[in-house]
Amino acid sequence: MNISTDPWVWVAAILTLALFSFLYRENPFYRIAEHLYVGIANGYAITITWHRVLMPALITPVGHAPSVWTKVWLIAIAIIGALFFTRFIPKISWLIRIPIAVLLGYSCGAGIPRAIDAELIRQLQATIITRSHFAHWDTALWAIIIFLGVIATVSYFFFSAERKGVLKPMSYVGVIFIMVGFGASFGYTVMARVSLFIGRLQFLLGDWLGLIK
Amino acid sequence: MTAQDGATRHNFWQKLQAIDRRWIYLVVWLVVMIPLLFPFKIKPQPTSPVQKLFAYIDTMPADKALVISVDFTPDTRAELQPMVVAMLRHGFATKRRVGVLAMQLYGLGLGEEALRQVTAEFNAHAATHEDSVINGEDYVFWGWTTPELTVMLGMGSRITNVFPVDYYGNTTDTLPIMRHLKNYDDVGILISVAASGIPRLWINYAQVQFGVHLGCGVTAVSAADYYPYVNSGQFTGMLAGMKGAAEYEQLVADRMAATNGEWGLRNRGIEAMSSQTAAHLAIMAFIVLGNIAFFASKRRKS
Repeated sequence: MNISTDPWVWVAAILTLALFSFLYRENPFYRIAEHLYVGIANGYAITITWHRVLMPALITPVGHAPSVWTKVWLIAIAIIGALFFTRFIPKISWLIRIPIAVLLGYSCGAGIPRAIDAELIRQLQATIITRSHFAHWDTALWAIIIFLGVIATVSYFFFSAERKGVLKPMSYVGVIFIMVGFGASFGYTVMARVSLFIGRLQFLLGDWLGLIK
Repeated sequence: MTAQDGATRHNFWQKLQAIDRRWIYLVVWLVVMIPLLFPFKIKPQPTSPVQKLFAYIDTMPADKALVISVDFTPDTRAELQPMVVAMLRHGFATKRRVGVLAMQLYGLGLGEEALRQVTAEFNAHAATHEDSVINGEDYVFWGWTTPELTVMLGMGSRITNVFPVDYYGNTTDTLPIMRHLKNYDDVGILISVAASGIPRLWINYAQVQFGVHLGCGVTAVSAADYYPYVNSGQFTGMLAGMKGAAEYEQLVADRMAATNGEWGLRNRGIEAMSSQTAAHLAIMAFIVLGNIAFFASKRRKS
């Protein structure tokens, strides 16, 4: 056994145990750890944003920019951004629509054309079966399964027609694919949660108590 | 079977369904803890997406850089930090230029921690200046800035414009590594290690516009969402959860044993696999038992 002498490891270990105590029941130690986390996380975010974003991108350039127009431009953008805080003043809270409109316009303009390319066209291309898929039996099998899965799943979400004729069996097959997808997601979720717990125990038993060889 | 036997058995299944969940927590705690203290040997078998990512980094042109984007926060550290560590080891072992950035503010500390750990490992084993790993020459930690969209698009024209100073406060223009790492043209592959939708943004902004090769390391929860992008070739490869990290660690460990010798490095992903296996078996047993209890009680009621 080789217990850590690093005081920060001890702080982290005690806070970890305080949070785990919630598994038994809610208690003051859990509450203290929870509030500490929220407070520190916010303080850290504000500090880093100040030093990594506001200082280099706004305050320093406004102070040192050689052109008056650059300064005016930066200050104008800062004012638009500051309008987000008008939410706290009911009389002028409608002004928040201005920065939201700018943000939405910019994000949609930059995002939508690229998203269509990346998430629609490329994904559709990936469902097309080509001759190269038949070079090996396994790639051919997977290509056919993906093709059938996409068609069947999309047909399940085809709500504008009654489920009869060919649409009925196809939508049933679609449900099977959807359920397999849910099962995979659930299995991965279990794995993820267990992994997070293992990570904490690796810290407690290894980094703190030195029991893991 | 007497009526009393039947009632006792029914009572047992009912009790099982109403068991205090704290007993389940205790069992999971023991099932995870015991294999960590007394592990049984498991050698992870790399899956195809992991192998593809490893092979791409291993064989990409020598003048191209490996860029790792730390896009996660401390709550998913257990799954994702081993991936960053293993990729850094791989990058330095293959003498790649390495650039690290964070798209999540809380990822800054995690990226710095991984770099500090891996550079210390390599510098402790360096016999010459050539073997050592030096900040600003062999690697750069650009840090974090926002918004993502501006960073991802801006890095396509000039990285130093997006990150005028690195995490340590050095002017990036003055760093020797930046002479060979101007924009995406100098990037061999960019790997987003994330617990959110950020890898998808890298596809939309960096790949669609600039054609950057991408890979990803994601939490197990989001793995199912990203397989279509691996299938379509938009991601060269993918590491899914702690298991993916363990597979990559194994590949890197084998490679380093062949070229660098045996360093005895700690691999947290591989270390966790016996606990993970035991926990999965326990959860499968819980599911089976729960279902038996449910159907047994239902049959009794009817």
